[in-house]
Amino acid sequence: MNAFAVSRWSREQKLGAAALLLGALAVFGNPYRTTGVVQIDARELAAIVQTEVDHVAPGELADWIVQGRTDYRLIDLRDEAAYAAYHLPTAERAPIAGLPDYPLARNEKIVLYSDGGIHAAQGWFLLRAVGFKGVYILRGGLEAWKDEVLFPTAASDRAKAVSAFFGGAPRAAGGAEATAAPEMPAMVMPAPQAAPAVAAPNQKKKKEGC
Amino acid sequence: MNAPFYKFGLFGDEASLIVAFAIGIGFGFFLERAGFGSAKKLTAQFYLTDLAVFKVMFTAIVTALLGLFYLSWLGVVDLSLVYVSPTFLIPQVVGGLILGFGFVIGGYCPGTSLVGISTGRLDAVVYALGIFAGVFAFGEAFPWIAGFFRSTPMGPVTLPELFHLRYGLVVFAVVVMAILGFVGAAKVERIFAARAKEG
Repeated sequence: MNAFAVSRWSREQKLGAAALLLGALAVFGNPYRTTGVVQIDARELAAIVQTEVDHVAPGELADWIVQGRTDYRLIDLRDEAAYAAYHLPTAERAPIAGLPDYPLARNEKIVLYSDGGIHAAQGWFLLRAVGFKGVYILRGGLEAWKDEVLFPTAASDRAKAVSAFFGGAPRAAGGAEATAAPEMPAMVMPAPQAAPAVAAPNQKKKKEGC
Repeated sequence: MNAPFYKFGLFGDEASLIVAFAIGIGFGFFLERAGFGSAKKLTAQFYLTDLAVFKVMFTAIVTALLGLFYLSWLGVVDLSLVYVSPTFLIPQVVGGLILGFGFVIGGYCPGTSLVGISTGRLDAVVYALGIFAGVFAFGEAFPWIAGFFRSTPMGPVTLPELFHLRYGLVVFAVVVMAILGFVGAAKVERIFAARAKEG
């Protein structure tokens, strides 16, 4: 009788041996597909475009920045000069040409913006094409950010507070065509602690992990 | 069909809560069946007389580890889409120590206290009230500790990335570590259980 006969092992020993065997085999495996070839479901993408679930409204993004949320990456796709002149607080600059090589993780929530929205939309397709799932576009781009967050017309008290937070100022209603394009505010990142008392009412807080 | 199901849009935010609830109930059920509704059983591990907590937890870790690894190797799960919580080294070490002290003193960890409540244990109810008091105090004190809370950020880093090792090698190392741990735990239990009987 052999003391090492499998039939004489206890159930725990058998399970342990199986785990050890699987663990040893794992050394030769690679769980990540790194071929760079990804299948795109064009219908799925079309449905996403149609339903606009991949959009983030400027007001929503403003709330995130005010709250100091860090569960997303904000990417500025414009050139260096434009970025230096003004960019959204917390935004990182990644020129669209370098986007495929920019260090982003596929499990991150990524918000893209450009001046209008065309580059952001193209960047969205670029990232979706290489398998990123959590890519979003700032609706209307920087133009909409100016109109809706920095210099809103017919602003509520809350919108005024948010506008002031980002260094903007509300415009008088209907005065948009009369006034020249307002000066962009100086680039200072307001500290989240100094945030105005805005209790984002229907903010969906999404947190994963335990 | 690919996983993670949530990331591939198989269900939305609302349905994800129902799924989480079902998984939570299952998790709690098996914790209870492993005896983790009892503070005596749980604290026995710190006195080294009963290392069931260690053994159950490491069995779960090894099972999940091997399962996820092989499923992703087969292409069923996309590991790059699985959420990894970011590391803030020093705050998490301090937080872990506080949790550990609470575990030894209170006899439960947050999850097992809820398991204890499900079978009507009063000490578990008191412990859970303590959790809510602690969460409240933490929330109120957050402006003062926010700086420390966000210190030493390392991002969502994993062991293979940190040490530039093959993913499978880390899997193997963890399995070996667990099995050595099981063998060691059995020895430790025998020694300390005998000592407890004498004493």
